[in-house]
Amino acid sequence: MPEDTSRVQASPSISAGGAAVVHEDTTAKWFLISSIAYFFIVGIIAVTIAAKFVWPQLLGTVQYLTYGRLRPLHVNGMLFGWLLAADMGLAFYLIPRLCGVKLWSEKLGVATAALWNVIVLGAVVMLLMGYNQGLEYAELPTWEDVLVVIAWIMFGLNIFMTIASRKYDQMYVSIWYIMGTILWTAFVYLTGNFAVLFATGVNQANLNWMYVHNAVGLIFTPIGLALAYYYIPKASNSPLHSHKLSMIGFWSLAFVYVWTGAHHMLHGPISQWLQTISIAFSVMLLIPVWAVVYNFFATMQGQWHQLRENVPLKFLMSGVVFYLLTCFQGPMHSLRTVNAIVSKTDWIPGHAHMAVLGAFSFFAIAGTYYTVPRMFKCKLFSDTLANWSFWFLMVGGLGFFVTLWLGGFWQGWQWNNVSIPFIDTVKALQPVWLVRFFSGILMFTGIVSFAYNILATIVGAKDNPEAA
Amino acid sequence: MLRKADSNFAFAVGAALLFFFIGGILTTVVPPLVDKSWSKPFENSDPSQGATGKLVAYTERQLKGRAIYVREGCWYCHTQQTRTLLADTVRSGWKGVRSPISTPDEFVYDYPHMFGTKRTGPDLSRVGGKYDTQWHRTHFRNPRDLVPGSIMPPFPWIVENPEEFTALVDYIQTLGRAKNWRPNGDYEK
Repeated sequence: MPEDTSRVQASPSISAGGAAVVHEDTTAKWFLISSIAYFFIVGIIAVTIAAKFVWPQLLGTVQYLTYGRLRPLHVNGMLFGWLLAADMGLAFYLIPRLCGVKLWSEKLGVATAALWNVIVLGAVVMLLMGYNQGLEYAELPTWEDVLVVIAWIMFGLNIFMTIASRKYDQMYVSIWYIMGTILWTAFVYLTGNFAVLFATGVNQANLNWMYVHNAVGLIFTPIGLALAYYYIPKASNSPLHSHKLSMIGFWSLAFVYVWTGAHHMLHGPISQWLQTISIAFSVMLLIPVWAVVYNFFATMQGQWHQLRENVPLKFLMSGVVFYLLTCFQGPMHSLRTVNAIVSKTDWIPGHAHMAVLGAFSFFAIAGTYYTVPRMFKCKLFSDTLANWSFWFLMVGGLGFFVTLWLGGFWQGWQWNNVSIPFIDTVKALQPVWLVRFFSGILMFTGIVSFAYNILATIVGAKDNPEAA
Repeated sequence: MLRKADSNFAFAVGAALLFFFIGGILTTVVPPLVDKSWSKPFENSDPSQGATGKLVAYTERQLKGRAIYVREGCWYCHTQQTRTLLADTVRSGWKGVRSPISTPDEFVYDYPHMFGTKRTGPDLSRVGGKYDTQWHRTHFRNPRDLVPGSIMPPFPWIVENPEEFTALVDYIQTLGRAKNWRPNGDYEK
């Protein structure tokens, strides 16, 4: 298949949408606004728990504010309150445009957004009260899980019905990725939140890690890539480089990702052959990742000068670089020799934050900056502030990732030298945690400037009209 | 062939699910059927096969203590697995004796599992019997009184609630004890 054809095929379907149809976008607006509010609130919790590493007595005698209660709130709040809600909001924006039709039901969409807020607020209360199921990423009690399933069905139904009524025959890559997200998430979520309840010990851990790994790999990755596939060509005004490459990326992701859960227990009490399988497939993850990243870089060929002025593009392309790096780390960690050093150390949060903040949150922030002025038909409140928010998040993020990698690697070496008492390996990390705390302050400043910019844009939309 | 998925909705959905389910089923449903040690409680009476002992189910009080361990999120900072690494067996060991590695059959009654992913504090897979109740009381009240430099949060509300405190310590003392690995039954109470 000649690449020229795919360029032509890809570009009209991505640029023609929305010309004739008037989109309401009520659902997208509600999802985005609430997700940004949680980004801010949970950001405060993030800084608090980073501070607790440096000042362990901080808020220490308040039962509801200990590290063990705040950490799950931070993780769940960022994953489901901020990132997934923002991703869903942006999906509600781009799917109708890629299909050339209105969203199937705005009423259903708004109800989904309302239900999502009930779930997130319920989670805050439950987790602070200590109602924790004890399974990572699946801390929430079962009634919350049931609500999530209902909300997900409402979301999926709305998106699928919109796609089914599409005007363009060919489905752009972002549509496959969002369909994939909806389908895979359904099964991954059911495994991680319901099937686990019927297993114990290693069997339960295996299901838990399948969910934990695929929450990132088959929820946040495909929906994040759907955004990148839409917003990179849009923000740079350049057609996607290769349709064929995007297919290789998508179908290898669909096949390879789900096998890798057991790499969370390398060297641990789980069957060696299962560890080996998870290692082999972890290394194969390089295929979907490099196919996708090459496609994005090639799309930007001759367009890199745009990065100087274009804030959404800055977020998008640095997100792509972070995605490349985090997905290079992943396969490398799963090699037994490397794993023996970095596993369970502070390297891991450095890695995880690069994926969830550096890559996928950057995509969602870029999408929000690009989308909000278009939905509210106005100019962005301040391009300068947007640029500041990028640099705060970039410098804070890099400070966070890099110090934790160095610190974590050092910690791993110390653990492997048994002549060093464990407590000395804790004391050694103090300077690392202090830098992490200050990086966190920078990142939080980035969040505040992003949230304020979007809020001011929406509030001032009527005074600042401009058809984008 | 997959190009059909570009414009055929049902084909795209079917293929996406098929690709996912191959790996999904082979890595979640099949392993416990193949490796029976995942579900058979540990039992060994032959010293030539390694540590002897038998895994017994938790008592009601130990389960209560375990629920507190889950509630307070102890598992976010403490792993419960002595991995197949020399350093792990030394660090989980005690008074110069290395601990045996953790095996799946030691965790059959764990619900939820507490293997953990992050080791901010030391691993607890063999902590049972290392410290006595009085040590734990002082340590939970303020960890830094016993371990200067520790960053563990204080848990005064557990110490001040005798029922919770006893249950939690009762649970902690079971950790790693299915394998009787200390020489001469040298365990603290």
